[in-house]
Amino acid sequence: MNDAQAVPREQPVILAADDDEDILALVAFRLERSGYTVLQARDGQEAFELARSEKPDLAVLDVMMPKLDGFELTRRLRAEEATSRMPIILLTARAQDTDVAQGFDAGADDYLRKPFSPQELRTRVQAILGRR
Amino acid sequence: MAEALVLLTEVFLVAVGLLLVTLVWRRVALGRGERRVREAERRVRPVAIALVEGEGGETTGLSAREQAVLADVLGRYARKLTGDADARIGAYFHDAHALRSALRELHARRMWRRATAAYRLGDMCCPDEATQPLLAALDDSRREVRAAAARSLGRLRVVSAALPIVEALVQRRVPNGIAGQALLELGTDARPELGRIAGHEDPSVRATAITLLGLVGDSGDSHIAGAALRDPSADVRRAAAEALGRIGTFSDEGALRAALDDRMHFVRAEAAATLGVIDAPEALPRLVEIARTDRFRPARAAARAVARIDPKLLTSVAAAPDAGPHLHEAADLLAV
Repeated sequence: MNDAQAVPREQPVILAADDDEDILALVAFRLERSGYTVLQARDGQEAFELARSEKPDLAVLDVMMPKLDGFELTRRLRAEEATSRMPIILLTARAQDTDVAQGFDAGADDYLRKPFSPQELRTRVQAILGRR
Repeated sequence: MAEALVLLTEVFLVAVGLLLVTLVWRRVALGRGERRVREAERRVRPVAIALVEGEGGETTGLSAREQAVLADVLGRYARKLTGDADARIGAYFHDAHALRSALRELHARRMWRRATAAYRLGDMCCPDEATQPLLAALDDSRREVRAAAARSLGRLRVVSAALPIVEALVQRRVPNGIAGQALLELGTDARPELGRIAGHEDPSVRATAITLLGLVGDSGDSHIAGAALRDPSADVRRAAAEALGRIGTFSDEGALRAALDDRMHFVRAEAAATLGVIDAPEALPRLVEIARTDRFRPARAAARAVARIDPKLLTSVAAAPDAGPHLHEAADLLAV
């Protein structure tokens, strides 16, 4: 999938990964409405494979996912050449300070606690992509 | 005799066969039902998202079953989202059949129907319509319904429900965890109400209110906890000393120092711990004395307070031969 790098994209591509269908559909809806193309994954392994093949511009990852949790997924994405610089936002109900610290230690760029505001998520995505 | 046994065996085998068929049929029916719900959720989720995101959401073409599924999906979104979502979900339910149905179900004969209705009302974001029925449900004869009502009143942030929930908590009519969570969900808006409840005639209610004030209040509420240090009930005094550890300021030092001479050892222990938290050097001589001479809990708390306030002093007093085990232990922990 080197095409993804070579061909300039009309819209930034965002990977959204969550095993909760309600959240995944809402995040996809909000981000697509904001002008992004959204790839959806329902577990950590699927998200990892999608990230490697599609090289999205940003990832919004749930922490507690089957097969591969968000922390481990973040670490693996950071270790991959193709995704090492991809901004990652963790979205999770694990709201303790130690969880937040663990997320940043794993390599996340931002952390959003559930319950969350879709508008806030969009604003953070825009802010991170705007800085690049 | 043999014929009777054969007949009995045949009857038994038929009964077992019927039971197995019934179980399989039930499993298949349940699986089919779950699949139907999942399919309905897939159909109505875009409508729910449009409603939550303030982009309309056409509900007129939905069947009664789909409307019920939509209500469940919106209820889940109410739990998972913040921001404008609550207001939009409330606006939808305000005119929806699901709200009227839940209010009606609160009076159903079957307990599980009443409990389900009480639970759902908490996610419909309509406090105006749901508050009074849920307050009434707090007095339901069944614990499950009362628990669901308490949880929903907390979710809807009904501040006026603070007293009934505290009463239900101390009378053990609602599980501690659920009542506690509901009261915490009321958040800082409940501070004035908790201040009023701190003057309740029942000491258990007063103690719970003070504990909660310590969790959701701030230094502006410390005078209420400070006054409660002189309460006739030792449980209230203990709760006050503990709450001051979170919301207390240096101005509470005098009252806390007086509490070091409380006749109840658990009040002295909490007061000592809190004096350590608010860093009160004036209390050091008495804390050292308590650490040497008092019962286990206050002595240990006092030694740890000395360690927090003045580690050098702790090291020197712990070196004395009559320092006692608590000062020694605090000094050991300090070194670690």
